[in-house]
Amino acid sequence: MKKIVIILIAIISFQGISQSSETKTKYQQGMLKAFDLWQNNQSLEAANMFERIAIAEPDNWLPPFYIAQINVFNSFSEKDKTTVTAQLGKARDFLNDAMALSKDNPEIMVLEAQWYTAWVVFDGMQYGMKYSPKIAELYQKAMQLAPENPRVVLGNTEWQMGSAQFFGQPVDKYCPEIERAIALFDTFEPEGEFYPRGGKDYAESVLAKTCK
Amino acid sequence: MNQFKHHFFIFMFLSIAITSEAFSQQTISGTVTQVNGLPISGANVYLDGTYDGDSTNELGSFSFETTETGVQTLSISFVSYETFMMAASVNDMNDLSIQLKEDVNSLDTVVITAGTFEASDNSKVSVLKPLDVVTTASALGDFVGAIQTLPGTTTVAEDGRLFVRGGDAGETQIYIDGIRVFTPYSPTTNNTPTRGRYSPFLFDGITFSTGGYSAEYGQALSSVLLLSTVDEPDQEKTEISLMTVGGGLGNTQKWEKSSLSVNASYINLAPYIALLPDRNNWQKPYETISGEAVFRQHFEKGILKIYSAFDTSNFQLDYEDINDPEGVNFSLKNNNFYSNASYSGDLSSSWKIQTGGSFTTAKDKIGIGNDNIIDTENSAHLKLKLKKRFSNRYKLNIGVDQLITDFEEEYVSETFSESYGFNNNISGIFAEGDIIFSRKFAMKVGARGEYSGLFDEYTVSPRVSIAYKTGKSSQLSLAYGDFYQQPGSEILKFETDLKARKTQHYILNYQYSANNRIFRAEAYRKQYNGLITYNTPTPEFSSNYTNNGDGYAQGIDLFFRDDESIKNIDYWVSYSFLDTKRKYQNFPIEATPSFANTHNLSVVAKYWIEDWKSQIGFSYNYGSSRTYTDLNRPGFLQDKTKDYNSLSLNWAYLLSQQQILYFSINNALGFTNVNGYQYADAPNTNGVYNRRALLPAADQFFFVGFFWSISDDGTDNQLDKL
Repeated sequence: MKKIVIILIAIISFQGISQSSETKTKYQQGMLKAFDLWQNNQSLEAANMFERIAIAEPDNWLPPFYIAQINVFNSFSEKDKTTVTAQLGKARDFLNDAMALSKDNPEIMVLEAQWYTAWVVFDGMQYGMKYSPKIAELYQKAMQLAPENPRVVLGNTEWQMGSAQFFGQPVDKYCPEIERAIALFDTFEPEGEFYPRGGKDYAESVLAKTCK
Repeated sequence: MNQFKHHFFIFMFLSIAITSEAFSQQTISGTVTQVNGLPISGANVYLDGTYDGDSTNELGSFSFETTETGVQTLSISFVSYETFMMAASVNDMNDLSIQLKEDVNSLDTVVITAGTFEASDNSKVSVLKPLDVVTTASALGDFVGAIQTLPGTTTVAEDGRLFVRGGDAGETQIYIDGIRVFTPYSPTTNNTPTRGRYSPFLFDGITFSTGGYSAEYGQALSSVLLLSTVDEPDQEKTEISLMTVGGGLGNTQKWEKSSLSVNASYINLAPYIALLPDRNNWQKPYETISGEAVFRQHFEKGILKIYSAFDTSNFQLDYEDINDPEGVNFSLKNNNFYSNASYSGDLSSSWKIQTGGSFTTAKDKIGIGNDNIIDTENSAHLKLKLKKRFSNRYKLNIGVDQLITDFEEEYVSETFSESYGFNNNISGIFAEGDIIFSRKFAMKVGARGEYSGLFDEYTVSPRVSIAYKTGKSSQLSLAYGDFYQQPGSEILKFETDLKARKTQHYILNYQYSANNRIFRAEAYRKQYNGLITYNTPTPEFSSNYTNNGDGYAQGIDLFFRDDESIKNIDYWVSYSFLDTKRKYQNFPIEATPSFANTHNLSVVAKYWIEDWKSQIGFSYNYGSSRTYTDLNRPGFLQDKTKDYNSLSLNWAYLLSQQQILYFSINNALGFTNVNGYQYADAPNTNGVYNRRALLPAADQFFFVGFFWSISDDGTDNQLDKL
């Protein structure tokens, strides 16, 4: 079961750091610093930075979203049960915060699906049967809300592809959807500053690996 | 005045500090360690409400600069430690040395566990998961079957109902969403175990209490089984199942705030019995049609659930009988309708309401030889419960409920016909408080009062339980309670000038749970009083009934579950020791009833084989010998059958995301189990009473099923339905 899910580490949205810092608000500086830490493999420090921003900006869904995302992504490669439980527990808390601040948000739905996926990756026997329908439901809902969002298309397709692989079924039929997701990354316009935007590189690696 | 001066001084001091430091940066630094001195790395250190902060390094040290001035709050947080907060002037936040304490709050607080087993995904006292109902080999998808692998239950293989701690099946009550179920079991022949009437996949929480339960529940001497229906189904889907014994069809629809699940099934044992004949001589093998529907509506502050189930079954056969070489012809037609509506929601931030009602109408038409019996039962349960939260440490539950039963029996034979029955009204009121003295010590104390219109009798039952945490992962619980229950309809239809029966439970429980392993040991003593006695072989009109019976049950229950030690294997072991005797019914002396045996053991294991996409299940049940009366020797219930053994296997194979093939065999090794003996009414010419062994209808049962789920995205399957 663990094999069915390909780790989604790369769907991180890094922001360009081009503007000079004097013109930025504290919020912008803080977010940029956090992304900078994340990009430099200091994800824990980045999560801590996002946490500080979350406390200072209690009405903004992005800081808790990124804290949850960092913890979810880190847990994909973690084997220790206590650590996984703690990481995903923390991710869940901030995921709940983000959901309370922004309802019906497809980006958060994708992350929630990834949160469940992390449990399936960790222990397929215990969580595979239990969470598969939930994951499918979340992607389905996100597809209804944002059929043109590249991360939604990518996540949904990859989940279906992983399941097909697990059952030894051909995966070729999913390749056009991955290609469509890649094309969508070029045209997708995030709704605001620091909104999720990344994932194209990862989509290309999926295409290269499975579709040749 | 003094106070004012003091504040003024601080204010002056701060203003000076602000002016002098307005544009300078201040460094905040220190180290963070555990109580034992080891450094904590990765802790988040920051000034509350600002962007200024740092993460601790491997040595636990941190350092950051801030332009903030004056008194600020420094916070240090780290997963599974209590967040540290310190208010001080930033000037003083230098070379700090801070210890974080382990957070023992939320997850580790003591929970009252005496008598209670939970099956859920969330509770830490959970011993079964909802999926276990459908993946336990011996359970065959029946929630009662899964519960029978827990300690405190007794193996009564030919019956299939729950017999708990020396109590008979009628002493256990079943609730759905807090509301009583009146006819939980499907009708069956007397040598085939019954099953729970309701499909297991509608429930996501099961609490099984073997004693000492809450004052919320009345009219149960031994045990309660609480089932809660799913609040929200995962996704829209259509389900098709094809089995060796029948087929089923289900559909779930979801809307913005509501959802509806419906299912229907048809079971007919005729083809199976034609292929693998059993010991019964069937004229009309078992056939049933059933349907269920659950509607759920979410409101802003609550949820309404309406559950309805209808089923109709019939069969006809010749029973073997020692007194009648031809056998006795027996037929049954049963119609059963159950509906349950419940609402639970918030009234305010501290008040919660749970209310609802259930209604059952059941009709049995039984033919025995040339006689016909028609039983009609209409029952209802209405309940209102309020929950007040005074603080995290003190909560109060109060409520009222009403049970109404109207039972009528019509007996028609060639020579006479008679109609009789009873109306029963029981009003209940209860109050119960949860008090958490500390993380280590909690208490639940309550009482239940009942008034029976039929008996014109008031009863009051106190209930109390306490729990004390003896270590990080272990705790002790104690419980005491009084429980009253009226006699069953088999007595009340003939005699209503009686009183309620009574039990007292004393329970001591120890639980250790850590890292996916759980161990429980429970010792108990149960005292029975006011049991019903009569002076005829079976209850009749002319019998003389009294409340003079009594008895006791005592024993030890052990449970161990381990989902951790062996990769891909999950197993549990239950053992029960029971010592019980009672004098009731027509017992001439105090004796151990034939449904109670001394030792019971269950071992259940599940193995997930990834390469085969299969889950293989194994369950072994052992029950020591049961008593029976040997008429050829003096004495009463003085002899014992041989021990009971059964090994069941199942195999679930995932053909694709949506298709599952399922095989199971009960009693794979083909043990011949004897449930007891029937003796002839009169001795033969040699003065010996002939006897016949009471054997199960079939020693083994085979099952093959194909389950197919169709959902829009194609990932759901019915593994949780098997």
